[in-house]
Amino acid sequence: MSPVTSASALQVKAVSASPHTATGIKDVPELTKMIDVSVCIGCKACEVACQEWNDLKVDEIRESPPQTYQTLPDLEYNFWQLIKFNETERDGRLLWTLTKYQCMHCEDPGCLKACPAPGAIVQYSNGIVDFVQENCIGCQFCVTGCPFDVPRISPTTGKVYKCTLCSDRVSAGLEPACVKSCPTNAISFGTREKMLAQAQGRVAQLTADGLDHAAVYNPSGVGGTHVIYVLPHGDETSLYGLPTNPKVTFVNLWKGPLKWLGNLVFAGGIVGVVLHYLRYGPREVDESRHDDVKH
Amino acid sequence: MAQRADGRNLIVRYPMIDRVVHWTIAGTFVYVMLTGLALFSPPFFWLADVFGGGPVIRYWHPIIALVFLAALAVLLVRWFKDMKVDADDRRWIGHFREFVTGDEKVVADAGRFNFGQKALFWVQSASAVLLLLSGVTLWFPRSFDVGLRQAGFIVHDLSAIVAIGALIVHIYMGVFVTPGSVKAMTQGTVSARWAEAHHARWLKALRSATPQARH
Repeated sequence: MSPVTSASALQVKAVSASPHTATGIKDVPELTKMIDVSVCIGCKACEVACQEWNDLKVDEIRESPPQTYQTLPDLEYNFWQLIKFNETERDGRLLWTLTKYQCMHCEDPGCLKACPAPGAIVQYSNGIVDFVQENCIGCQFCVTGCPFDVPRISPTTGKVYKCTLCSDRVSAGLEPACVKSCPTNAISFGTREKMLAQAQGRVAQLTADGLDHAAVYNPSGVGGTHVIYVLPHGDETSLYGLPTNPKVTFVNLWKGPLKWLGNLVFAGGIVGVVLHYLRYGPREVDESRHDDVKH
Repeated sequence: MAQRADGRNLIVRYPMIDRVVHWTIAGTFVYVMLTGLALFSPPFFWLADVFGGGPVIRYWHPIIALVFLAALAVLLVRWFKDMKVDADDRRWIGHFREFVTGDEKVVADAGRFNFGQKALFWVQSASAVLLLLSGVTLWFPRSFDVGLRQAGFIVHDLSAIVAIGALIVHIYMGVFVTPGSVKAMTQGTVSARWAEAHHARWLKALRSATPQARH
C-alpha cells in the first residue's frame, strides 16, 4: 500500500468529559484501516511492527504465552494488537479463524463517553480515537465503556493504553506501522470511502468463491468503526472473537438519564429544603418555662 | 444507658463514642461525595483538583470509602436497637403530613429516634451496602465480568444519588429545622424540654430507668 499522503495535522473532533465539542472547521477526510482476514497468514509481522514503532518493550510483558500459536492470551497495556488464533472444529476439521485484534476506533466511542477526565480521550476528525496519558486518572471507566474490551492499565504508570492507529505516523502522512509491515496486503489503510468500497469488492470475490456468508464487519451499534474487517464467515462473528452487535447503550444510559436524575435530586433537594424553611421555619423549643417538664 | 449531665436540666443524647463515629462518617462521606461527584459529572471535575487532582482522588476515593463503611458499621451496631422499626412508628407515618408542615406535637411521642430518622438511617445504610458492592467492581474492573461492571456503574450512581438526597434532608433537619440537634451531636446533650418536644417517649424511658435523675 502506498502511504496516505492526504492526512493533515490531526484536528480534534471530540474530547472526553468536556461540555463543548471541538470547533475545527477543516474538512478532514475520515480514514479507515481494512483488515482482510481471508488473506492473513498469521505471520505476526504486524505485532512486531507495532512493538517496534511504539517502543513498547515487549520483554516486559508479564503474561506467559498460551498453548497456541498466539503470542499472548490477550491484549496488554504494552501489547496493543494481537493476532488471535481462534480454533473451531467444523465438520470434523479444524477451522482456523485468525483475527488481528486491536482498538476499533469507533465512530461512537464508549471509552470516550465513559471517561470522566477532561481531555484524557480525544477523537480526531479523521476518526482516530487516542488516549492522552497526561490527562488520564487511571479510573478505568473506559475499560467498562469499551464494547471490544481493548483498553489496558499499566500497573507501573497507572495510566491506560491502547492502539493509537499510529496517530503520530498518520499525522505525518504515513500509514500505520502494522499496515506497512503486512507481507500479504491483508491490511489496507486509506480514506473511509475507498476502504469500504475495497472491502465490499473483496466480499464479492469471496462470495463468488463460494463463501456465501462473507461480509464486512463495520458494526452500526457504535456508529461504524475506523477499523473494519472482511470476514469469510461474516454471519458468525464469534468465530473471530468479535461481538455480533456491540453497543454503548449502557454508557448512554449512565451518562444521560442517570446524570439528569442526579442533577434533579441534588438541585431539587436543595431548592426543596430552602422553600420548606422559608414556609415553615425552624421548630424552636420553648426553654423559658421554669417548671420542670412533667412526667 | 444515657446518663444525666451535671447541672441544668441536661440529658446526654449522644455519648462521646457516638459523636466521634458520627463525625467520622460525616467527614468521610463528604470526601467520597465530593470526589465521587467529580468522577460522576464533568462540570464537577474541578472538585478533583481541590482534592489533589484526578489520579489522587481515584486512589483515595475507595480507601476513604472503606473508613466510611467501617464507621457506619459501628453506628449500625450501636444504634441497631433504637433504630428498630416498631408498632408506634405507624402513628408517626399516619401523621407524616403534620410532621412535614411543622406540627410536630401530634408525633412528639417518639422514642430515641422517630420514624423519619429511622427511615433515613436505613436508607443510608442500604445505599452504603449497595455502594460497597458496586464500588468493588469499579475498583478492580479486570476481576469482574463486563455485565457486572456495567450494572455496577448504574447501581453505584443510583445509590449515591439516593444517599446524597437523604443527606440533604438529614443536614436540613439537623441544622435548620431542629435547633438543639447540632449541639446534641457536638456537645452530646439536649435539654429536657428539647427531649420532651421531639422524643417524649425516649425521655420517659430514661426517667423511669433512672428516677433519681429527676430534679
